[in-house]
Amino acid sequence: MSDGTLIFEPTQVWLELAREELTRAWQQSQSFVWPNCRWNAYLNQLTLSAVLPWVQEEYAPAAKPWPSRAALLSFWQAVTGTAIELDNARLVFVPTDTIDLSELRVPQEWVDIPSWAGDYYIAAQVNPDEGGVLLWGYTTHEHLKTAGIYDSRDRTYCLPSDELILDLNVLWVARQLCPQETTRAALAPLPILPQKQAENLLVRLGNPDIAEPRLAVPFELWGALLEHGGTRQQLYERRLGLPEQWSVKKWLSAGVSELAENMGWGLLELQANIVGARGEESPAERSVCRQLIIAGQPYELRVFPLDDSDQPVWRFQLRNTSSGGLIPGGFKLRLLTEDLQAFENNEDVAEQAREELFIEVSLAPGEGLVWETEPFPDKYDREILRF
Amino acid sequence: MRPRQSLIEMFSTFLQFDAERWASDPKLRRSMQHCLEQLQRSEKEENFWALYWHKLWQAQPAPQAGQAGTALARSHLTAYLQESCYWTAKKTSDTLASNHYALSDCFQMAISAVDTVLKGFNPTQGYSLKNYASAIFSSALRNELRQRQEVDVCTTWALLRRISQKRLVESLQQAGRSNEEITSYVLAWKCFKTLYAPVQATATRQLPPPDSATKEAIVNLYNKERGNEISPSAPKCSADILEKWLLTCAKAARSYLYPAQVSLNAPTSGDDSDEFLSDLPDSLTESLLTEIIEREEEQNRLALAIQMRAALTAALNSLDSQGQTLLQLYYGQGLTQQQIARQLEMKQYTVSRRLTKSRETLLLALAQWSQNSLHISLASNLLKDISLILEGWLNYHYRPPELSSEME
Repeated sequence: MSDGTLIFEPTQVWLELAREELTRAWQQSQSFVWPNCRWNAYLNQLTLSAVLPWVQEEYAPAAKPWPSRAALLSFWQAVTGTAIELDNARLVFVPTDTIDLSELRVPQEWVDIPSWAGDYYIAAQVNPDEGGVLLWGYTTHEHLKTAGIYDSRDRTYCLPSDELILDLNVLWVARQLCPQETTRAALAPLPILPQKQAENLLVRLGNPDIAEPRLAVPFELWGALLEHGGTRQQLYERRLGLPEQWSVKKWLSAGVSELAENMGWGLLELQANIVGARGEESPAERSVCRQLIIAGQPYELRVFPLDDSDQPVWRFQLRNTSSGGLIPGGFKLRLLTEDLQAFENNEDVAEQAREELFIEVSLAPGEGLVWETEPFPDKYDREILRF
Repeated sequence: MRPRQSLIEMFSTFLQFDAERWASDPKLRRSMQHCLEQLQRSEKEENFWALYWHKLWQAQPAPQAGQAGTALARSHLTAYLQESCYWTAKKTSDTLASNHYALSDCFQMAISAVDTVLKGFNPTQGYSLKNYASAIFSSALRNELRQRQEVDVCTTWALLRRISQKRLVESLQQAGRSNEEITSYVLAWKCFKTLYAPVQATATRQLPPPDSATKEAIVNLYNKERGNEISPSAPKCSADILEKWLLTCAKAARSYLYPAQVSLNAPTSGDDSDEFLSDLPDSLTESLLTEIIEREEEQNRLALAIQMRAALTAALNSLDSQGQTLLQLYYGQGLTQQQIARQLEMKQYTVSRRLTKSRETLLLALAQWSQNSLHISLASNLLKDISLILEGWLNYHYRPPELSSEME
């Protein structure tokens, strides 16, 4: 792209980006309020665009962004870093645009939030002017936790370059020759925030005037807020000043919000005669649904009110959408309160293969629910549906 | 350049670019003479002395006042590695497109990695210090060139955005700033990075100064954060002070990342008091000697080294011809990936990816060989060492013809 002499080592990986990708990444990153946040999102987007095709072509065709592409903006709003999931390992890329390759600084979130932690942390130097990304060193979670220096000022784990493995080839050779190697250190779980506390934090940190929300409250609270996909998403929306995006009632009357649509939600309108043919539990004419992949099979999660009243009973149902497909024995559909507590009749279990799993629940206006299945679907990230 | 012949010369002379000759350091010369007499080793054993000084250096790697032995060992080794450094620098400087950097500049940049060499070298791996040094010098030099090239084209504000925190702190320390000052500067710099980012997708090297509204916002953020980050009594900042601080940071960073050439080649032992081996406890000298002699007698290790080279050569020969060509151009002729791309009419990222892939094949072969022949269980940190051995071998295998006799 430029005529400068780029000098790389064969131990490093230089990945080029097309001009259009720079433009697209730039546009996608402009919604954030703070300049550094926009810039971080841009660097992360570029890293993902460069790295994902490379990993897929060279090493793992099934590699995908974690938890899902649609969730990334809510991560980047909070902290820099992009995770890619392989079959049995997670790579966390930490992009910077620094000139010198002297250290790797990994935000604490990627290290100490148990469900976020990766196996490998890879230093990515993004150079928009040269149109590429240089991967120049990496380490494991285990090494970062044991040898890394924790900088409490900006809550990062730092390793100087001589503590990193500066040959990216080693990563892939290690995965082939010593797959049993310990890559992760043990982590203590973070608390689950009571709903009231989560709401208080969201009000406080959702204020876009706070420059560095990640440093504004103790890490345990911040980490817990982020680990729950639903509150992380709300934080993102509040800092952007967006109105409620997850009201199922609103979706049914005015269409699914764009954000929820990106996550896979859609509106389904049924013909009256098909409704009749379904039998006793006739669904309403409109429902919202989300396609899921669970253990390699396609499913549909459908949510709809059972009557037209102001406070209807809501039905959550899960079906296998492959022709003649059933829900295998052992599968569960479960609903939880916003702060992930169980309640009476919140779960349906398939003792043996069944046509559907369903839960019916009455809710107060404004109440929120989190759904989950067991096993988890692909790209699962908790979300809070509002009723 | 005339290769040095005698053992004393090898461990006590330094390359003089202006005069194209070897300059002898009297203190190092006396030290080597003294050692040769005292230890009664034969003149020919260059490798013995390399290991000996390295072992001594390792005993106390952090140079501290009063540890004359360490500084002395480092000086001897720096003298010893002059030739490896010279050939590495020559290989790279011959291929540089611009004449911005003379051979002597490249040499200076490479030799500054001497501590990295000494720290990383592991004598039990069956490779000579010289081979290992070539690999490290070569990547350090390329890294340095790449970094300078970026620093050179960055405006003050771009440089500030693109320096790592580690280097910024080091730059300020080198510029003689107190810890208190550094704390304030680093906080100001962080606030600057929070609020000032490029406003377009490219041209990140030509950033203009922040406008006055942004400066004001940075000052406000600093004044808000200083209570938590420094201390509640830390003085307030103003727009003028902020600008002054940031410019100080940028200036320190630039002179740290892109220093005017200073001679790093001269030995560090400035005084000429005769503190050589007589200052070291006899027991240490004894144990060092025993260990080295034991190692020399390990014929087994030598045999393994030969097997390993054979295994690597076989793996190299089984690469496709393009892979072999790329390695030859890169390690043998020292071409940059961009030059290779031009020569072979390929895209640079294709060169980069194929080269990496070829090297990965060799690393895999070497790792498997180690697993099977040495019966070791592999782990990432061991593979890291194996990668360095591979780098040493590649530099050895594709060494310049001038060195082929010497490095056998």
